[in-house]
Amino acid sequence: MSTSLLLRSSFPRHISAAVSRRAALPAVIQARNVSTSTEYVPGGPIIRGTVNDPTTFPTPSKSHGSYHWAFERLLSAGLIPLTGAAFAVSPTAYPLIDGLLAVSLVVHSHIGFDSVLVDYLHKRKFPIIGPVASWSLKFATIGTLVGLYQFNTQDIGLTELIVKVWTA
Amino acid sequence: MQSLARNTLSARPSAIRGFATSAARSQAAAVQKPIQTKEFKIYRWNPDEPEKKPTLQSYKIDLNQCGPMVLDALIKIKTDLDPTLTFRRSCREGICGSCAMNIDGQNTLACLCRIDRGAKDTKIYPLPHMYIVKDLVPDLTLFYKQYKSIEPYLKHPNPPEREFYQSQEDRKKLDGLYECILCACCTTSCPSYWWNQDEYLGPATLMQAYRWIADSRDAFGAERKEKLQNEMSMYRCHTIFNCTRTCPKGLNPAAAIAKLKLEMAAE
Repeated sequence: MSTSLLLRSSFPRHISAAVSRRAALPAVIQARNVSTSTEYVPGGPIIRGTVNDPTTFPTPSKSHGSYHWAFERLLSAGLIPLTGAAFAVSPTAYPLIDGLLAVSLVVHSHIGFDSVLVDYLHKRKFPIIGPVASWSLKFATIGTLVGLYQFNTQDIGLTELIVKVWTA
Repeated sequence: MQSLARNTLSARPSAIRGFATSAARSQAAAVQKPIQTKEFKIYRWNPDEPEKKPTLQSYKIDLNQCGPMVLDALIKIKTDLDPTLTFRRSCREGICGSCAMNIDGQNTLACLCRIDRGAKDTKIYPLPHMYIVKDLVPDLTLFYKQYKSIEPYLKHPNPPEREFYQSQEDRKKLDGLYECILCACCTTSCPSYWWNQDEYLGPATLMQAYRWIADSRDAFGAERKEKLQNEMSMYRCHTIFNCTRTCPKGLNPAAAIAKLKLEMAAE
């Protein structure tokens, strides 16, 4: 008697459990495919959207893309003859070459350091340190340019200084 | 048994020796090869026990009872020693790209990598800087999503009814690009991809992007290039050349990216 009661009582529960499990199945699949997290979580996976969605691209901007790349390469290549020219001619007689070398060197360094910051301290991963570092670099570059302008116009100039230090 | 055979051999005249003893000799040749033990240290991590740190587990197998490639060793370990060892494999001949892993510090396909018989041990890790599903199985979801993002198929507004003709010179431009099997060895060897894989596409995907840009039958080259015009997607490549160095198929993703950069700069 007791066993039959038990059976009877457990039977509908069993059915209902199976039914509810089947009903829950699509939800489970959905939960596996759809990830709602779009923000970067440090140390966590970075899948945005479903597994079948392609990754997205940022807004196209040639000044961040090919123009930047070409400028960087041309500047690097141009620095070689420029350095040679600055040391070949007397810098005090050609202050323009001296000034050009100073600006090119600083811009070249700025691009290099900026690349390091984009690689390792990008603001999507470092929302505070990233922008701080990026702005510090900008201020440092401007400061260096101002200082070099002062030095080139008021004092002996960059090339002359390097020659002096070299022979010292 | 052996000594007995040798005794009978020496007792016979040498002229008929080879002929008369051939049966006994072939039986003697079946003697076991010497045991050549080799240690494999394999990265283990079980998602069912996430609180346990990943460890290197050591397995010793006899190389004379095993095939020549690392994949043979892995299969032997899984069959004979530890069925819980998990790795991907399929074709065992370097065309499916499933068994990509880091063997002795180099990303390669286990099926194309010979077992180093000289070294004492061989260390096997999953592809570096990837999320691990289990043991040697990395999560390649993002890699495939990135591959999908470059639309890796021919796009043309009105393709011809039948064959799509291409000159032999144009076809030659695709050599060295189309052979990629997307094993992710190059992409996961790239330090830029390690640091910025959520934004940077990585060498394998970029080479495939160029494969469709270089295809004379594709009409959307400009649009494809336009997508890459940003700081992250392609220009995080700093020509490190790890990709070319590691490619188990001998391809050159770095050259493809360089051509792509040059084409985009010359536009």
